Amino acid sequence: MTVYSFYIFDRHAECIYKRRWLPRPTSVGGKPQTQAGLGQTVRAGDDDAKLVFGTVFSLRNMVRKLGGEEDNFVSYTTSQYKLHYYETPTNIKFVMLTDLKSPSMRIALQQIYINLFVEYVVKNPLSPVEHPGGVGVNNELFEGSLEQFVRDQATFR
Amino acid sequence: MSYYFTILSPTDTPIFNIAFGTSKGGGDGIARFRFPDTAQYMNQFIIHSSLDIVEEAQWTNGGMYLKHVDTYPPAAAYISAFLTPSGARFLLLHQPPQLPNSNTGSLGSSSLLGPGGSTTRASSSSIAANPTSPQTEEAVRQFMNEIYESFVKTAMSPFYKQGMEIRSPVFRTKVTAAGKKWL
Amino acid sequence: MSTNKASRIGEEIWKTRVDKVNAELVTLTYGTIVAQLCQDYNSDYQEVNKQLDKMGYNIGMRLIEDFLAKSGVGRCANFRETADMIAKVGFKIFLNVAPTVTNWTSDNNQFSLIFDDNPLADFVELPDDGRAQDELWFSNILCGVLRGSLEMVQVQIEAHFVSDVLRGDDTTEMRVSLVRYIEDEMPPEEE
Repeated sequence: MTVYSFYIFDRHAECIYKRRWLPRPTSVGGKPQTQAGLGQTVRAGDDDAKLVFGTVFSLRNMVRKLGGEEDNFVSYTTSQYKLHYYETPTNIKFVMLTDLKSPSMRIALQQIYINLFVEYVVKNPLSPVEHPGGVGVNNELFEGSLEQFVRDQATFR
Repeated sequence: MSYYFTILSPTDTPIFNIAFGTSKGGGDGIARFRFPDTAQYMNQFIIHSSLDIVEEAQWTNGGMYLKHVDTYPPAAAYISAFLTPSGARFLLLHQPPQLPNSNTGSLGSSSLLGPGGSTTRASSSSIAANPTSPQTEEAVRQFMNEIYESFVKTAMSPFYKQGMEIRSPVFRTKVTAAGKKWL
Repeated sequence: MSTNKASRIGEEIWKTRVDKVNAELVTLTYGTIVAQLCQDYNSDYQEVNKQLDKMGYNIGMRLIEDFLAKSGVGRCANFRETADMIAKVGFKIFLNVAPTVTNWTSDNNQFSLIFDDNPLADFVELPDDGRAQDELWFSNILCGVLRGSLEMVQVQIEAHFVSDVLRGDDTTEMRVSLVRYIEDEMPPEEE
């Protein structure tokens, strides 16, 4: 399994964290076009976060309209990638893009929220509660642990 | 028996005073000292004069309760002391009722003492009658321990500063209750 | 979700997922903060109440995340459920008390929390300056905590104390009113 990228959006629709992992050569081998596709997103710069937010926001609203207030979408798949989504009751949205082989990452995203985001970002008294102007989560502990977490996920599956 | 209880801060400032009488053996809990009303300060004099002895006694005894430390025969006043680790001192002055034909009665001739008025008061319990008996020591120990507990809680109040006068009505009520219960 | 179920959840989390800390440490720390505020604002208790509320608000905004992470509960269906969740789960896991939810208005938009036990106020006796008893809400931080945490889950409320045993009242009661449910925020318009 390969994780391509990861985003966190806060309740003000602001992207507060963004992280991209370029596919490792080994796992990319069979699918060169995947890399190319993502390469475009990388070049697109900041816009990708906005696009991702727009997508999950609309998708979520549509899902709720069709399936009731409690409904939520978990992931969607294209021919190139799979997008995993987890939203907390506080409207923080966690989004992860992986390759197609990936199992459901819903639990993983929840774990990232509970064990990494809450522990290292929310409970850090010096970290701002809100991230106005997209200052973002700038936290070594969080980034380090996230790196480790994603690597573990990739290895074991 | 009449009691006068004082708490002194580590810097010798009186931070709490109360006078009360025995409630044992049919006592009504009202203090009847043998000084005239104009000489109530005598209690404070006597209690503070025992401080030197308390200071000596504190090294002889590992415990916080120093038992009966001082006696002032002219007024038949007995002082018991209790020392908190923070250096506050609880001092209890007890004055048995003036019994007719007793030794203390003859001491009552001191000019400081008022005319006998307490002689008719019935107070026959062992605690009241004999301030140095083991029963009295035990009762005072229980009393002191209970006060100590309330004192710690009062000192834990965020609005109380060390060495400040204790104005808490709750504490006063608790002291009165402890007095009623043990003395 | 029923009150009983909320109680069970609270009990379960309290037992298994909460790190415990010495009660006196909490009480003395909070007491010191309030006493210091009173000193800093020269016993302007109105201002102290306001500051406590503000501190609570900032705590609440973070605390809600910890609450959700620990409890894993989802969105409440109505305000009554929210009240149970606050009383039986929230207060239980953070302060190990479970205030009684009562005095609902007929439109289900206002309720009271009655605290039988308030760990923040152990040992506390208000200053006897003749004003504190009428003006200071010692535990006002709790109002802010509720306001902050509920705002994060899109529930805007107003909370204030109406009585406090520290003031000599029979009960400690907090009144909580629903103001509105907050809409999702949309991303800023593209220029």
